[in-house]
Amino acid sequence: MTSPDPLFRELRETLVDHFRRDGAGLLDDHAFNDLALRIFRFQCRSLGPYGAFVRRRGVEPDRVARWEEVPFLPTAAFKVASLMVESPEGAERIFRTSGTTSGPERRGAHHVLDLSLYREALRPTFRAHLVPEGGYLPVLSLLPSPSHAPDSSLSFMMEEILEEVGRGEGGFFVDPIGGVLTGAFRETLNRISRGGSPVLVAGTAFAFVHWVEAARAVGWRYELPAGSRIMETGGYKGRSRALSRGDLYRELTWAFGVPRERIVNEYGMTELLSQFYEPVLPGSPGASRMEDSDREGGVHGGGESSMTDPSETTELAARYHRGPPWTRSLVLDPLTLSPLPPGEVGVLAHFDLANLGSVSAVLTEDLGRKVSGGFRLHGRSPGAEPRGCSLSMEDFLRGVT
Amino acid sequence: MSAFRAWHLPPGFPAIPEEVLLPWDGILPPLLLPDLSADGVRDLFSSLREAREEALVQRPVGEVVEVVDRVARRLLEPGDSLREEALAHLAPQAGYSVPMAETVLGGMARDWTRDRLGRLLASELPDPGMLDGFRPAAGNRRLRALGHPVTFHLGAGSVPGVATTSLIRALLVKSAVMLKPGRGDVVLPVVFTRGLAQEDRALARAVAVAYWPGADSSLTREALHGADLTVVYGGDETVRWVRDHLPATASLVAYRHRLGLGFIGREALGASAAEVALEAARAVALFDQRGCVSPHVFLVEEGGAVEPGEWGRLLAGALARLEEELPSGALSPGEGAALQQLRGEAEMRAALDEGTLLHHGGAAAPWTVLVEREGPPRPSCLNRVIRVMAVADLEGSLTWIESWRDHLQTVGVAGLGDRGGVIAERLARLGVTRVAPLSGLPWPPPWWHHDGAGPLRALLRWTDWEEGGTTPEADGVPPPDHR
Repeated sequence: MTSPDPLFRELRETLVDHFRRDGAGLLDDHAFNDLALRIFRFQCRSLGPYGAFVRRRGVEPDRVARWEEVPFLPTAAFKVASLMVESPEGAERIFRTSGTTSGPERRGAHHVLDLSLYREALRPTFRAHLVPEGGYLPVLSLLPSPSHAPDSSLSFMMEEILEEVGRGEGGFFVDPIGGVLTGAFRETLNRISRGGSPVLVAGTAFAFVHWVEAARAVGWRYELPAGSRIMETGGYKGRSRALSRGDLYRELTWAFGVPRERIVNEYGMTELLSQFYEPVLPGSPGASRMEDSDREGGVHGGGESSMTDPSETTELAARYHRGPPWTRSLVLDPLTLSPLPPGEVGVLAHFDLANLGSVSAVLTEDLGRKVSGGFRLHGRSPGAEPRGCSLSMEDFLRGVT
Repeated sequence: MSAFRAWHLPPGFPAIPEEVLLPWDGILPPLLLPDLSADGVRDLFSSLREAREEALVQRPVGEVVEVVDRVARRLLEPGDSLREEALAHLAPQAGYSVPMAETVLGGMARDWTRDRLGRLLASELPDPGMLDGFRPAAGNRRLRALGHPVTFHLGAGSVPGVATTSLIRALLVKSAVMLKPGRGDVVLPVVFTRGLAQEDRALARAVAVAYWPGADSSLTREALHGADLTVVYGGDETVRWVRDHLPATASLVAYRHRLGLGFIGREALGASAAEVALEAARAVALFDQRGCVSPHVFLVEEGGAVEPGEWGRLLAGALARLEEELPSGALSPGEGAALQQLRGEAEMRAALDEGTLLHHGGAAAPWTVLVEREGPPRPSCLNRVIRVMAVADLEGSLTWIESWRDHLQTVGVAGLGDRGGVIAERLARLGVTRVAPLSGLPWPPPWWHHDGAGPLRALLRWTDWEEGGTTPEADGVPPPDHR
């Protein structure tokens, strides 16, 4: 469903045109800024609560000259307001955050006015990073299917990918309450391993940890055909603390026969219709840059086991995330919210044009550093301790819910 | 600034040869770490166990108090080298501003002086001499009180000084001490123990302090096995981990995460409302709200001369002024991220006009006051973020704080009038372990029943010597009447 608002329709057409052109650089800074400000003004006018938020911050929408000056809306605001440029009842779909940290009553909701914008935005970005050579391959997702998880934007995305990249071949292998459907998954893996064509396995770090633990225990080990690849997501939220990223990737290589250089992290969020990927596979945008000198000193692998290969630690530490041309990301000072110079750790903020129907300027809770071409997510440092003896909200809610 | 050496070993213990520089991502400066192995931890425990008899057991408790008092006074004495060293490192290592570090050092060290320790002993023991030998006691017996031979203290790091207090408590009951402080509380125990070694080398042989990153490590596991009693301060996760790794024969005293709140009654919302707001602001600002005694929410009664919304504005003004006297420490990026989310959500609520009022320090300071009309109550993300909840009457609100009962510790009160007794009684039944005026909130006295139990008694083992037997006659209890 799309909006009857002529301005929305016009902006939507412009965006879809960009999405389909699929090329980096087509939206240069000037063009991005123009489009971003048009969208921002449209959202201020059409989305009452956001407009009020912007005015509370003392910003006059028509006077903003650069997209960086737009007030970025914290994701927590998606928990308290229905943020859509038209009446929220008209949402084609409402995606919700998982609510693992804040309790079920306080899940964030992203009201999506026009799902076709999501479809159009997610496909080329996924293809660019996970199927840069083009073509089709089966897509196996360690996720619940959208019919079992209608709230999940990730499940929705992978169903689109299953159709578009897998042409229906593959499926979802997590049941509604979160367990891996081992029988069906193994049968599919067996069948695929016997063939010679590469496949794509996608899943959350959490589900992969689950799988490799079970696989280690009973010795389920697969050698997926050469050229297979893995998309791993959501490993940064501190849930599967038991396994460092290096350890997880080593386990994935053991379990699926997919080398580390073919494991790609996706960073996405319910509140954004665009996604960010690590340029890892040859031919993906920005992948050549991985070779250059953007790696930092001072990387300390305290969480890694003693068996860690130093080149592995260096390679993982040099990875970064990159968004599609219709997004821009900033790293902001956590108190002043002014942009930080490259290399300094701050709060990530994204401007996502694909969010036309809700709010495009979003302030996340994630930390990162700016690097050329994108940003590097900043995981929890080994040995970091919370400073409050009066407990964190997370501890507290875990205790009472 | 030079990096801080995060350990102090007993005099005579072989030096630990290697030092490791720990890079730090957030705002805390580097720290030099002892390169301890599990074997090294085991050797430390043997050494402490051996030293304890001469260093502590054979000396009267009064002598221990005197030595601790001498160190405390040096920490309080302007210009003393020990105080200078503590202040040089405390602010950066704890993530506090310099004035905050001075305030915290002053408040903490005051409680380590002779008078305060004497009152602590007197309130915990019927006769403090029981720590030196058997003394007559009620029930026709003699009593001897002694701490466990070697104790392991696992600090939390949120409030500097807390780990040192734990160390001193153990010394008073003549337990040798191995202390692993938390990251933010490394400086005071190391400096204090250095002071001990300077003042009384023999006594210092029963104390070791060493920091290593993370609570859940092989070194901690070794320490849990080396100690007769472990005292842990930390989050529920840390306490659970320690419980899971403790040998069956070892004892545990656990101080879990706690939080506080404030009750502001109508009677405080008249002429004194601004003064009460300043006291409340100070209770929030001290320790940058990281203490277990720090309030997270003020319940403010409607119907006074000053309404809750207006009182929230007074509180905001007071927090803003306190930034000059007691500036906030720098936020870590993660803390800043949480603060921005909280402010943003509240701004959205305010924009939706849900009766929410928001005041904050903007880009200059993290303090944030959120005035809300209804629950559910939520804990703060710390760093001077406080909620003001308007309530029709305080008695009626007691039921909803029930959901906090597992973590509730301190309730600060003002303006309860003659309802004080009734409310204190109901708070006691809810498990609250301290009710205090707002002005006293940040500084519980040393003899407070820490989380509901005697701070020294929790560390003690008693020996009853029933010298004359315990027949009813000898007890002085009349025989039962069977008629």
